[in-house]
Amino acid sequence: MSMLTYILGWPLVVALALVFVPRNYRVIIRGIAVLATLISAVLAVKMFCAYGHAPIDADGYRFVQQVPWVESLGISYHVGVDGLNVGLILMGAIVAFAAACCAWEIKEREKEFYILLLVMSGGILGAFASLDLFFFYFLHELALVPTFIMIGVWGRGERKNYATFQITLYLSLGALIALIGLIALYVQSGANTFDIPKLTEYIRQQPLSAHAQNFIFPLLLFGFGILVSLWPFHSWAPLGYGSAPSPTSMLHAGVLKKFGLYGLIRIALPLVPQAAQSWMQILAWLCLGNILYIGWVAMRQKDLNLLIGNSSVAHMGFIFLGIASLNLIGVTGAEFIMVAHGFLAALTFALSGYIFQKTGTLQISELGGLCRQLRFIGTALLMAAMAGCGLPGFANFVGEVTVFFGSWTVFPLVTGLALWGGLIIGAVYMTRAVRNVLHGPLPDKWAGLADATSLWRKLPYALLLASLFVFGCFPRLLTEKITPDAQKIVTMARGETVAMGGTRLWRVQFGVPPDCDGAQLVGVDHTGNRGLHPQAVSGATPETTRGTRVLHDNSSVALGENTILN
Amino acid sequence: MKYELLPWLILFLPLVAAGGITLFTLRYRTVSALLSIGAIVTGFVLSLIFINANGWQPAVGEISKNWLSIGTLHIDFGLKLDALSMMMLLVVTGVGGAIHIYSFGYMHEDSGFSRFFAFMSLFTFSMLGIVLANNFIEMFIFWELVGVSSYLLIGFWFEKPSAGDAAKKAFIVNRLGDFGFLLGILMIWGILGSLNFSVLQGQLSQNSLALGAMSTIAGLLVFCGAVGKSAQFPLHVWLPDAMEGPTPVSALIHAATMVAAGVYMLCRIFFVLNPEALHVIAYIGGFTALLAALIAVQQDDIKRIIAYSTLSQLGYMVMAVGLSGQTAAMFHLTTHAFFKALLFLSAGSVIIALHHEQNIWKMGSLKQKMPVTFWTFLVGALALSGMWPFSGFFSKDSILAQALEQGHQLPWLGYPLFITGVLVAGLTTFYIFRLFFVVFFGKEKSEIASHAHESPAVMTLPLVVLAIFSFIGGYLGIAGVYHGLFAGETEKSAGLAAALFEPFINSPLAAALGLCVVAIGFFAAFSLYAKADKDPLPVILGPLATAMKNKFYFDELYEATVIRLHDFIAAVMDWIDRWLVEGLCIGLVRGGTDLTGRALRLVQTGNLQTYAFLFVLGVAVVMYFVLGK
Repeated sequence: MSMLTYILGWPLVVALALVFVPRNYRVIIRGIAVLATLISAVLAVKMFCAYGHAPIDADGYRFVQQVPWVESLGISYHVGVDGLNVGLILMGAIVAFAAACCAWEIKEREKEFYILLLVMSGGILGAFASLDLFFFYFLHELALVPTFIMIGVWGRGERKNYATFQITLYLSLGALIALIGLIALYVQSGANTFDIPKLTEYIRQQPLSAHAQNFIFPLLLFGFGILVSLWPFHSWAPLGYGSAPSPTSMLHAGVLKKFGLYGLIRIALPLVPQAAQSWMQILAWLCLGNILYIGWVAMRQKDLNLLIGNSSVAHMGFIFLGIASLNLIGVTGAEFIMVAHGFLAALTFALSGYIFQKTGTLQISELGGLCRQLRFIGTALLMAAMAGCGLPGFANFVGEVTVFFGSWTVFPLVTGLALWGGLIIGAVYMTRAVRNVLHGPLPDKWAGLADATSLWRKLPYALLLASLFVFGCFPRLLTEKITPDAQKIVTMARGETVAMGGTRLWRVQFGVPPDCDGAQLVGVDHTGNRGLHPQAVSGATPETTRGTRVLHDNSSVALGENTILN
Repeated sequence: MKYELLPWLILFLPLVAAGGITLFTLRYRTVSALLSIGAIVTGFVLSLIFINANGWQPAVGEISKNWLSIGTLHIDFGLKLDALSMMMLLVVTGVGGAIHIYSFGYMHEDSGFSRFFAFMSLFTFSMLGIVLANNFIEMFIFWELVGVSSYLLIGFWFEKPSAGDAAKKAFIVNRLGDFGFLLGILMIWGILGSLNFSVLQGQLSQNSLALGAMSTIAGLLVFCGAVGKSAQFPLHVWLPDAMEGPTPVSALIHAATMVAAGVYMLCRIFFVLNPEALHVIAYIGGFTALLAALIAVQQDDIKRIIAYSTLSQLGYMVMAVGLSGQTAAMFHLTTHAFFKALLFLSAGSVIIALHHEQNIWKMGSLKQKMPVTFWTFLVGALALSGMWPFSGFFSKDSILAQALEQGHQLPWLGYPLFITGVLVAGLTTFYIFRLFFVVFFGKEKSEIASHAHESPAVMTLPLVVLAIFSFIGGYLGIAGVYHGLFAGETEKSAGLAAALFEPFINSPLAAALGLCVVAIGFFAAFSLYAKADKDPLPVILGPLATAMKNKFYFDELYEATVIRLHDFIAAVMDWIDRWLVEGLCIGLVRGGTDLTGRALRLVQTGNLQTYAFLFVLGVAVVMYFVLGK
């Protein structure tokens, strides 16, 4: 059995087992739940370390396991990792463990809470590990539904019910739209399989018609986009996170939310490439909605959790920008931020949860000077705030700066504006929060606050911080895994870009001969269009040069933009 | 190259100290302090050993390791080893070491003693990183890290609201500069495809037009970084507020090293700057020098006067870079590090003696009570004003000479800036001796001043060391080292006497005028302030004095425009978000569902006849479609 099955299986199996534990064995329930997530986190770390040596299957995945299920529809239990999800699974498992540790703040109906938490963890880890569209979607839904229940039952604040209502409505809608897109993809491809590698290979050889692509891509983009709080479908997020118990916000903002982005990169970009290309310009501008607009909104927040929630939405903008740039650097950067933001979001929500637990309020005007009383928590929150405004040393910086490099060549103006959002607006709201929550005089009523002193209490925060540091200082741990697979996605998504002599051929896509190792970039436009980096020329392989020669012979044929040749 | 490991050690020792203090020794005050001091002093010794073994220009110009590599993006983590970085290593670890030792005395009573040293070591690490960086992104990384160390240290006494505000302001204003810096880096990388300084320099020296139409813009964007960090106009507003931090911090970060990083960076990336960009840089530097000197004349807080003086001196350095005088700029940076650190530390000694009183009009007559502080401050003041043969004279003179020389080719650039420089030199002497006379002479102007006594040896010893360097720094051959790098020729070592009189032979006009204004400034300050109880200047200058006292209202201006604007946009966006996006989207979905529900309810009347009628109607419709065709 693959290690992945254990990673996602432990929480699910233990969730099932917990059903049979009497509810008044509180400590045992908690202990078992924490242990289950710990095992899956340790296994995930082990898998991440062993990634380099693990055998690779024909499709480029490692730790693969496949069990046929409904063969008539082509559904099978198929898990595996490549560079795109290995980091996410590591991050997800660590965050799940931290969330289980932080769940000590739950004092009623613990049994149900831990069961839901474990289902959520196992579900989302499974969704990331799945290489089968059915399980990919099903396991995500399995993780999503507990979120609604947890906010509704264990949530806090006056607007709890409204938040539950809103988040349920939005996310169900997003998931539904994405489902329509995925089913359309399945039907249109005609491959009669839900298996992602097979589907990818099939579509690589027989691309979908332009019409089908133009129909499917928006469904995927906005369906997944709603799940990731793409502007203007974001308003569920800050409120939902503000009302949720902190383990739930940690898991959702940190891990679950990345599902939509992962879906976009894994499925939408390579399988509907032409439509994807035509939407990227729009996506780039939409992401400014996240970065700038939500950044400004965050500046106005009076509640710490709403501020963190908004900042988390704003960070999604950088990931979208990376995806929109549709080149290796941008997509790798996007993948990197997904991992980094997972740790960071979990950390900030865990810390704000601690403060709420102790003070009973997150109104910024009520707080102040907490650094004096809460040494450890305050320092950790300060570090989280700094990581949030992109301080080097933390993983977020690496991801953001990589995205900027990637998008600069494609969208200089958008990148410039995004830079403003990241460097200035982010700094303004983060330092304001630090100034008003941690700095300044300590109000008398908080003089008795207790800091996290025991090692056990400090563990989740320290673990998340350490993860941010490790990837921030040694980014190659992650990027070396991501780049080869991001390259595959990017080559598929960009199709073949060919330019010949004086003929202005721009983004011509053609069916690649079977012996050809994917479509490759083989030339640059000599008409002065600087959209392509000259360096890319060296990527030409003998196969693709052969492909180009074929084109050269036909070069008298007028080829319009986005022509598909077979 | 010998001892290749040493530069890495020098760089990482302070980080190890910072990490060790934070994780393990927060409770053990002395251990923490010794770790931090040990790291920087060892760094200084190792730097000396390394330079001794390899000379100012080591055979291997850089050592680097790949840090991140994605497609065409390659970012190295490397160390650039040349005269520029070697000299800066000595300045940072040397001056920094003296300040670390001084802090042991200065911060002794503070409850955050260990935390202070952890932050100081973090800062030292970041600053050394800037100095040694061999590519743009590495420099940017450490650039941000010094920014955050500065933020932490300004806000060290974070319970004071003013300290928290000052830290926040410094961070955000610095970020404004960094925004331009990063944009410039992206632009240069986009066009030239590399981030490494040597590679870029090679590309630009082969084809100076390689940056094309973007040349001036890219240069100025990178300069933005220096504007932020070196607090040049219009981003100068954060530095005076940064004096909320402990005084050793002001000396180390906001006088000797970090604020000079901007000037260092400009010299490092000088090859990117084209003539147009340089002209802008020169004028901004000159303007800042004048503006800050004018403001300094009417400040009453001892640290703020020195802070504005720092601004003004940084203006000099930036102006020198703009006038293509990197040697002069770096020379002044080095001597300034000595005498400004000295001035701040002496001021700190005064402040401690007076139990944290910083208003100069509550001091007075400290000459007898604090002799060591008095004499060292005098040395610092003379060096700052540019009195021969103190170090400041030589470096300032080389800037003035550079301006004059540029004036021969570009009269509209060189001459106005030369006159500004001379004028500022006079103002400098005036404000620093105003401070000097008010603090050390005259009557005791408050109760505490009469009880003041000299600081302990751990504080005065660094003062003496810095005073010695402020005195002799001008003819130690520092300029020669820089000259060797920038002009590509090694100056033959002249004798001491020749070095002492060299400025008078080289550019007699600059030297003579410079000394003249020093004399004028000194006597003006003496006649006005030697016995004054309160400031006579407001009466003489009228409204101008009020404007100077209020820093020409820059804070108010920014408050009314930039901050107001951002808050306004934020308010509008928040309103839209709350009422339109959320209200409308949710409202529509909910309202739509609700409305459909209501409409459908009307059909559910409970009346059997109606149901039967609808049923028949339905059947009829179905029949029509099935059979009708």
